[in-house]
Amino acid sequence: MLQILVNALALGASYALLALGFVLILNATSAVNFTHGDMVMAGGYVTIALFSLLPLPGVLLLPAVMLVMALLGFVFSYLAYFPLKDRPPVSVFISTIALGIVFQNSANAINGAEPHKGPPLLGEGSLSLAGITVGQQALSIIVIAAMLIAAQHLLLNRTGLGRKLRATAQDRPMAEAMGIRVNSMIALTFAIGSALAGAAGLMLSNTFFVSPTDGSNYIIKAYIAVTIGGWGSLSGAVCGALIIALFEVLLPSLPVLVPLLKDVTPWLFTQTASTILLYVCLLAIMFFRPQGLFGEKVQKRV
Amino acid sequence: MNASLTWASKGIRPLLILGVLGLVVWASSISSAYQMRLFTIVGIYALLALGFQFIFGHAGALALTQGSFFGVGAYVTGILSVRYGWGAEYTLFLSLLLPVMLAAVVAAPVLRLESHYFALATLGIGQVLLLVAIGWQDLTGGSNGLSGIAGLTIFGFEIKKGQGIMLAVWGCVAVGALLSWRITRGLYGAALQISRENPVAAQAIGIDTARLRYATFLLSSLFAGLAGALYAHTIRVVSVEVLEFPIMVACLTIAVLGGRTHVAGAILGAVLIVNLPEWFRDLEKYYLIAYGVALLFAVIVAPYGLIGLLEQWRAKLFPERASTPHQPIALPARAALPMHSGPLLDVQDIRKRFGGLKALDGVSLKVAQGEILGLIGPNGSGKTTLLNVITGIYRAEGGAVQLNGVAIHEEASFNIASSGVARTFQNINLVDDMTVLDNIAVARYGFEKAGLLQAAGAGWQQPAWQRARGNAAYLLEALGIGHTAQSHAGGLAYGIKRKVEIARALALEPTLLLLDEPAAGLNENEQLDLADRLRAFAKTGLSILVIEHNMPFLMPLAERMVCLDHGVVIAQGTPAEIRANPLVIAAYLGAPEDVQA
Repeated sequence: MLQILVNALALGASYALLALGFVLILNATSAVNFTHGDMVMAGGYVTIALFSLLPLPGVLLLPAVMLVMALLGFVFSYLAYFPLKDRPPVSVFISTIALGIVFQNSANAINGAEPHKGPPLLGEGSLSLAGITVGQQALSIIVIAAMLIAAQHLLLNRTGLGRKLRATAQDRPMAEAMGIRVNSMIALTFAIGSALAGAAGLMLSNTFFVSPTDGSNYIIKAYIAVTIGGWGSLSGAVCGALIIALFEVLLPSLPVLVPLLKDVTPWLFTQTASTILLYVCLLAIMFFRPQGLFGEKVQKRV
Repeated sequence: MNASLTWASKGIRPLLILGVLGLVVWASSISSAYQMRLFTIVGIYALLALGFQFIFGHAGALALTQGSFFGVGAYVTGILSVRYGWGAEYTLFLSLLLPVMLAAVVAAPVLRLESHYFALATLGIGQVLLLVAIGWQDLTGGSNGLSGIAGLTIFGFEIKKGQGIMLAVWGCVAVGALLSWRITRGLYGAALQISRENPVAAQAIGIDTARLRYATFLLSSLFAGLAGALYAHTIRVVSVEVLEFPIMVACLTIAVLGGRTHVAGAILGAVLIVNLPEWFRDLEKYYLIAYGVALLFAVIVAPYGLIGLLEQWRAKLFPERASTPHQPIALPARAALPMHSGPLLDVQDIRKRFGGLKALDGVSLKVAQGEILGLIGPNGSGKTTLLNVITGIYRAEGGAVQLNGVAIHEEASFNIASSGVARTFQNINLVDDMTVLDNIAVARYGFEKAGLLQAAGAGWQQPAWQRARGNAAYLLEALGIGHTAQSHAGGLAYGIKRKVEIARALALEPTLLLLDEPAAGLNENEQLDLADRLRAFAKTGLSILVIEHNMPFLMPLAERMVCLDHGVVIAQGTPAEIRANPLVIAAYLGAPEDVQA
């Protein structure tokens, strides 16, 4: 039981990094970055490439991966966002879909379609803590992700730079009038968001491998997490990510926990069924609470 | 003969006619089976994209379900043909019906969502369908798919593969293109445009924007189902690929690259997207990268697609002569209202709050038939909020609004507009890319009963649209701005825009006209002129409620005035009484010179 919970938490922590980056960019640009899932995929490949040059544990590669991904995010913003920043958000949506295609097929051309396995953060063994076995990788993901989320929180809320970033996201013309270089702030937001996605990519590359088409799966997860958590809410995104992961891990393993269920509805406890159920829940949430589970209801002024 | 020549020479039509001829020549020169199949696929993608243009281009909603409806259409044909041996006379029909039914069902929770949520929800639906197709192996053959689909045989008559099916597909493209063109021009097309670009204004002229969205969504799924069925008959195999995201991406790319709203854009886009991999075959596995780059390039450089780019170039290189002005057609004389003893508009104890702010705290006022009522009050006193409550844009928390004795405060905004309440906006809500004439003509939508079927069935002349434009020309004359008819609304002076909004409101043949600061941006002569015209309209029985800060304009115009402050009526009476009222003077922050004059 505890093993399952730890796995769910580890998956949720990686999703949380992904969703956080997604919301940061969303808030700064009010545009959906459809390439964000591909950033996770790219992070996975960067990890593997670095690992082949320098076979170190994932923890030590993490700063380098995040740096590379931050650079990629920076360049990305100048290709997909800035040329379109005065157009309706849907243009950015399409331009990021376009770059997503480029990312996916570049990965496919360079690495081939078959999945690759990334290095673990520390090791792949399991630890025995007070008689309970817990996967080392899962545990280290939880710790590192928690540290990254905390660091992100501190950066935004406790530093001058963070204040500028938040000001840009909240009210761009005002921030500009205050002398903040908003374009640099937005590019920086893309860099931070992509670095977080890259970190998620590193963490997921060991357990789930990396293949070029992973991105669409991850972007949907981020999207759902943000929808559940309330559009634009950072803490909501983290909660949403944890809920998704719990759902994904717990539902298929319910029969293991409650053997009675095994014979009743075996089709319900498959990975596929749990994903379908997740989407159905999402549609239900959007239908009954378009503002998200934790979002505030706002009335638009006409 | 002469008329059709003029028609053909307008805009980029000469180019398009050349393009169609080019396609015909190309098609007839094809000899290899492979090239023929490729050309058939172009047609199938063109159909798919023609359908996608309805919801994406005309309704402006990024629906990521188009690929899924295509897949459903393909699977219906595949399953019925392979497992049950049904002929295309049944499967084709069901391949159209099922995606439309699916669209009708998912539309209820999904269509009212806003852009990002809508895109995600449609993406989610697509993923569910894909997972079902993979999981339900008994029916769909799982990941292996279904092979051995019969050719296109209708009532025993077999359309031969190769040239036969190519012609059948392109016949469908021609019919589909004609249908799409008919639906999206004229009054219905204008209604789609204003609903997309300014939904608030669309509702204010009585257009049910949700219904238009619904209709375009169903139309999209219809085209997708047809494309899917034809695809199954052409390829003879259906696998989960038809439901996967690349089909959706191809469809989106076609629409963005070719043009979102132009019929020719779907066809040009399909020709390019299907053939690019062939032309760039030397790039091998890199061609999909080129695909993504092309999409990015199109979004940045040609936001209206290649067809839009052609239109821009033509407009720059060969500016068109102004077309002949429309013959004004007078609106029918105001019909007498059914007898009702009370006032025309009766606002009773309306309450509305925004969070902790009481914007309206029990406001009551009445407007008699043919009366001009002035509504004044300092900024933030709740005047515009009251207008938004009366027109159904906001729901009040308490109180009632009656129009000619009938409660309207629970009606939808477009219904209130249709029942005779027309308005203008403080912050101008016109469609910038439309001409002044069409901005007004579109308000005749409800009167011409311009539904989807009427649009599809309207002949070459489109009498309803011509009448609507004639009425619009008449109203422009009535407001003294007839010369602006062919200008684009975006480029007009502020004061003219206000008059265009008034003309649009009058096109609704209203019983009550609500004006939000109509004199802003007008010079003194224009103000006098506008006041005279409004008085003349009131003489015909039209009731007018005017919000205005400009007292020299309002005082002589209004018969009675109401003053709001902090969401409460603090005074009402004749202009002279209001001017003398100490509460009113105090409300305007002790600036009595504002109120005098």
